[in-house]
Amino acid sequence: MVFTFSNTLLMTNTPPIVARSKKQRKNLMQSGEILSFTTILNPPAGFPKGGRRIALIALEDGTNVIGCVAGNAPISIGQSVRPRMRLARINKAGLRLYEAMYEPVVTIGKIMKKEFPGYIIALTGPSGVGKTTINGLLNKAFSDYVQHVPILTTRKRKMQDKDEYKYVSVEKFLELKKKGEIISATEIPSRSEMRWYGYRASDIQKIWNVGKIPTVVTEIHLLKDLSKHYGRRSILSCGLLPPGKSKRAMLSQLLHRLRKRGRDSEESIQDRIKNAEKDLKFFDQRNDLFDHILVNEDLNAVIEKLKGYILKLSKANSY
Amino acid sequence: MDEAITVAIDSSPCNALDIDMVIVANMLGESTNGQANLGSLASSLFPHRPPSLRVEAACASGSVAVHTACSLLESKKAESILVVGVEKMTDAGNDELAAALMSAADSEKDVPSGLTFPGIFGLIAKRYMHEHGLTRDDLSRVSAAHHKNACKNPFAQFKKEITPEQVSSSPEVSDPLRLLDCSPVSDGAAACILSTKYESDLKIAASQVSNDTLSIADRPTITSFTATREATEKALEEAQIERSDISAIELHDCFSIAAIINLEDMGFAETGTGVKLYKKNDPNVSINKSGGLKACGHPVAATGVKQILDVSKELEASQKRWGLAHNFGGAAAICGIHILEHTVND
Repeated sequence: MVFTFSNTLLMTNTPPIVARSKKQRKNLMQSGEILSFTTILNPPAGFPKGGRRIALIALEDGTNVIGCVAGNAPISIGQSVRPRMRLARINKAGLRLYEAMYEPVVTIGKIMKKEFPGYIIALTGPSGVGKTTINGLLNKAFSDYVQHVPILTTRKRKMQDKDEYKYVSVEKFLELKKKGEIISATEIPSRSEMRWYGYRASDIQKIWNVGKIPTVVTEIHLLKDLSKHYGRRSILSCGLLPPGKSKRAMLSQLLHRLRKRGRDSEESIQDRIKNAEKDLKFFDQRNDLFDHILVNEDLNAVIEKLKGYILKLSKANSY
Repeated sequence: MDEAITVAIDSSPCNALDIDMVIVANMLGESTNGQANLGSLASSLFPHRPPSLRVEAACASGSVAVHTACSLLESKKAESILVVGVEKMTDAGNDELAAALMSAADSEKDVPSGLTFPGIFGLIAKRYMHEHGLTRDDLSRVSAAHHKNACKNPFAQFKKEITPEQVSSSPEVSDPLRLLDCSPVSDGAAACILSTKYESDLKIAASQVSNDTLSIADRPTITSFTATREATEKALEEAQIERSDISAIELHDCFSIAAIINLEDMGFAETGTGVKLYKKNDPNVSINKSGGLKACGHPVAATGVKQILDVSKELEASQKRWGLAHNFGGAAAICGIHILEHTVND
């Protein structure tokens, strides 16, 4: 018996599929950074014979894509790539099939030459874990060494806010972001609006200029942005977790803390718990972004640990 | 399939007429054998042609079929269900088979780039090595260990020992993965009978399935599989046991790197340290004693059922109580975890 497999092989080439992929092509035409790559020595039928380099690429808009990398120049994880459109093949029906592919941006030595700007201490953790409290205590107890970086936000001032925020309009925030003055930004949804939070490079630089270590309170996007802008090496990244053996126990601990501090409405607490669930997943999934994971069961113990890190960094900074 | 069904019935207290439902796990029937409607095909092997069902969840078809059987038994729709996983892969040529297997990935996000499954796990392995510093030589221990185990399994496809050096020097398939990191193309079938009517000293104490995104491009990380993590947690909770109670594991080592990540995601090793379990032999827990997918073989949809049978055999031989079968489909887009309890005779 002879089977015909052409349908299976050509399935991705049919006009409706090509039309759908055309719609997505615009999204693919962005620069990005290689997260991983491989060379497939025997590509599937229909692709040119010989090694085919394929990479998982983090695009500028935060989405990831799997795409072919052009050329034979050596590539590495973390390398920048830019998109290019090329004719992939012409199928049996004469349909010209284009694909977005990526070419490495030659930055030989650029990363090495990038000046090491100094250290930043980043505290990351779900809402209610005590990031702000710990940051406040650090700034009080070790004011000779550290200084917190004000967070730029588009949300309205709340009664309980201390000096951790600077308030700007959404328009102003986006303008600063566009100009590249805000180097780390995130948009967090609440029930009524989208709120922007971010850090300005000039605020961080000012702290370095006076010989102190900037401390920042971050979440997923802020941490990623800071790490990208200053280099992962610059960030002493501490993840803070609530006590609890399971995720459920941690979340119930957070719920308890959020209700106890009485700052948010029940609706807002529910939103925060939802975000916290995502944050806890992030801890598991991007552990490469953390240097230390601290469980905030005993505030003094956490401060004591952070003190050790601060003293080490101050020493390193002074060399 | 006929052979597996016959052996399952002969080794059980049931007879063929006791079977009131047949569930077939199969992925590639249409594309590699030109055969769909496998439920009817299996049913026609019985004299009374019981009602049938086919389950497809790529490489996890077997465990999802068992999960489906558990649900039907719990709902009392049936009392004795025969689950058979079957795959005949060698009917097709290499290109056809590769294309058919790739249908388990995302046809719009993964396939157009020319990616293959060794390619997907090549990306995963490269990133894992970058994040955790795993070396090529350490990775090679995984396949070598599974091959050693397979030598004692009469049903294994490769009853042949290989050294880690042979793995490291085998032809490159998808950098950094080499030929001997990859599970083979296999033909095979495995069948078991699940019953609420007949007693057995082997019980399914937990049956859980979890899903993740189909494409690895949509995940925040590719060095850990959420579906495995979630299914394991749910299964341990269902069985009400701790990880340390488990003495036999059959895990889904479609590629050597997957075995390491699975051990971490199931919580048997800390993140980045899964390979340690291949460096030291823990006498309290066996990993892929059957030889796993790499050496015992990976007839796609039969694998999930086969793993459950292997765990059962291991528990019976060791007279231990708890075992776990871990089976995933795609790049862990779906994961089935079964915990087996063996009633130990004092």
